[in-house]
Amino acid sequence: MKFAREDNGAETMLRIDGTLDAVSAPEIRPVVDAIVTEERKAVTVDLGNLRLIDSSGVGVIVSLFKRVRAHGGEVKIVGLRDQPKAIFKLLRLDRVFPTP
Amino acid sequence: MIRVRVPGTLAYRNLALRVVAAATKMIGNAECEPSPALEELEAQTVSAVGEAFNNIAIHAYKGVAPGEIDVLIESDAERVVVEMTDTGASFDPSTVAVPELDELPENGMGLFIIRSFMDEVTYAAGPPKNVLRLVKRRAPGPEPRLQDGASEAEVTVETGAKRATADDP
Repeated sequence: MKFAREDNGAETMLRIDGTLDAVSAPEIRPVVDAIVTEERKAVTVDLGNLRLIDSSGVGVIVSLFKRVRAHGGEVKIVGLRDQPKAIFKLLRLDRVFPTP
Repeated sequence: MIRVRVPGTLAYRNLALRVVAAATKMIGNAECEPSPALEELEAQTVSAVGEAFNNIAIHAYKGVAPGEIDVLIESDAERVVVEMTDTGASFDPSTVAVPELDELPENGMGLFIIRSFMDEVTYAAGPPKNVLRLVKRRAPGPEPRLQDGASEAEVTVETGAKRATADDP
């Protein structure tokens, strides 16, 4: 997995590539925690190059969503496709996350 | 039949999933034509096997030296069957609650994903071995395009001490 965070004014873009699973999820937790701690209110997660996600990876995304929302922010998902899209649909997350 | 046998730790999850993904595209020893239905079958099967692998590595072998995860895959024109065997602690699937999706759970979704994506899920608890059998039926229509190779393949990953063989004293 590779990830990159980019802040542009009030907006934060978090791009996650490759595989987000039980192995790699702990690697990105500190980045998610930092976004929450800094109370970023406009967060976009780009999953366009995410090949595979499991329930552990979903847990990280949902954690980000719930905690950003708790301080009045919003998390958007962009680029969802293939296996990750199937997982999001199954878990009804496609109804939760605003997608442009 | 395709077999991949790896140590029961998350480090080998990706390797096992790559073998399973490739196997879903085979019918016997022939490779399938790409199609949306095949991509969906691959995504759902890999998702289910990945969750099952997590459960074994994280829960079944928790607190003990991890044993192996033995994955047998049979793929024909009608279905893909994946049988996963471990020697860790067993569990009772009937006691695992269905997650409340509207509450946005952050864990406890693995068995739900397995059951949702697979057509048949059976679990035989050990000891000495726990066997999880997953069946995914194919949509009608995939046509083999390549006839080549052996009818059986085996991948075994060994770590640590050399595996004993029949020729060893």
